[in-house]
Amino acid sequence: MEKTEILASMNKIWRDELDNEAITITESSTANDIEEWDSLSNIQLVVATEKLFKIRFNSAEIAQFKNVGEMIDCIKAKIG
Amino acid sequence: MDNILKYIEEKNPAHAAKLNSWIKNMDTDYFSESELFFARYKKFIESTGKKLEYGIDCYLKLCAQMVFERIEFIRFGKYANTSLEEVEKSIYLNPEMFEYHMHGLVFAQFLWKEQYARFNFFSKNIGNYLKPQDKYLEIGGGHALYIVEAMKKGGDANSFQLVDISPSSIQLAQGITEGLNILFLLKNIFDFSPTEKFDFITMGEVIEHVENPLSLLIKVRELLTDSGMAYITTPANAPTLDHIYLFNNATEIRDLLNEAGFEIVIEKTQYAEDVSEERAQKLKVALMYAAFVKPKK
Ligand SMILES: C[S@@+](CC[C@H](N)C(=O)[O-])C[C@H]1O[C@@H](n2cnc3c(N)ncnc32)[C@H](O)[C@@H]1O
Repeated sequence: MEKTEILASMNKIWRDELDNEAITITESSTANDIEEWDSLSNIQLVVATEKLFKIRFNSAEIAQFKNVGEMIDCIKAKIG
Repeated sequence: MDNILKYIEEKNPAHAAKLNSWIKNMDTDYFSESELFFARYKKFIESTGKKLEYGIDCYLKLCAQMVFERIEFIRFGKYANTSLEEVEKSIYLNPEMFEYHMHGLVFAQFLWKEQYARFNFFSKNIGNYLKPQDKYLEIGGGHALYIVEAMKKGGDANSFQLVDISPSSIQLAQGITEGLNILFLLKNIFDFSPTEKFDFITMGEVIEHVENPLSLLIKVRELLTDSGMAYITTPANAPTLDHIYLFNNATEIRDLLNEAGFEIVIEKTQYAEDVSEERAQKLKVALMYAAFVKPKK
């Protein structure tokens, strides 16, 4: 799967989970850029992403994601 | 408190900012109570050759652990451990783990708003219910914050006893209450069968640690006089390694108290995060439930 496809699917998750259709994420997006993205909703986002791509992040990975791009790289590595 | 927050800020600035955002609005009672309790803890921990910072490190480790527990909880919708056997393996038979957990909890009592809400509710009301000559029992007393407060507000009660199943908890409680006249018993509460009943029983954050909370509540009812009163607290949606029994909401807790033969006199609930009711339910934010209850007539 291409990075752009992964990003598009993630964008849908972010809009659904954060209840805001106006959200558009890019590879450089971080929690600081989006008001509704806090430590609580982050957990929802991570778990919803795992479900969609049928993968599991480990705790070290979750702790280290700095932005959306790093999550995409991790997803890409897992789904091949 | 200032020093504690400063130390947390050095280690985890984001967490410190979150703590500061609610602590800055607290009243003088909060600051004097926390100073007194942390002074007790500091004296004890220094007597064991460690520093106050050791306890704060335990607290930060506990916070990090809880993030992972929460991820698992959101993934699977249940607590990671559902039997006592699993918890015994991972925590109770692992003294190092239990120790950081309990020492971390000492700090959580004042650093987490839902924990402080539970203590404040106890502190403001215990004086109305604990009468002179009463026999006071605390079950699972852990860090001893509650029994110290009960003695402060109801010092003319007849006697104070604390039962706990864990040697580390008893050691911590004894250390923190140094100089106070408390009878400590290292025992599983289910094996505790005294000849006399108690007029007041405090049992904070224990029923979620057992497989069958109803039988524990019935045990408390049996230990209580007919005119007695109990203070019971437990959380809903609060995943930690040693929580076994999942309450999904306050209604389930109230129903169980009723089933065990208790009538709720006053109660208090508090979410662990500052969110709307709707969002709290959606994100399964941890809810603290506390109540003063009495036996149903
Ligand atoms: C989470 S701590 C609660 C500490 C304190 N009561 C509070 O409200 O914050 C739970 C305590 O209950 C004790 N405990 C758990 N099961 C018990 C049992 N069956 N009998 C006696 N104590 C028990 C544990 O050792 C621990 O000290």
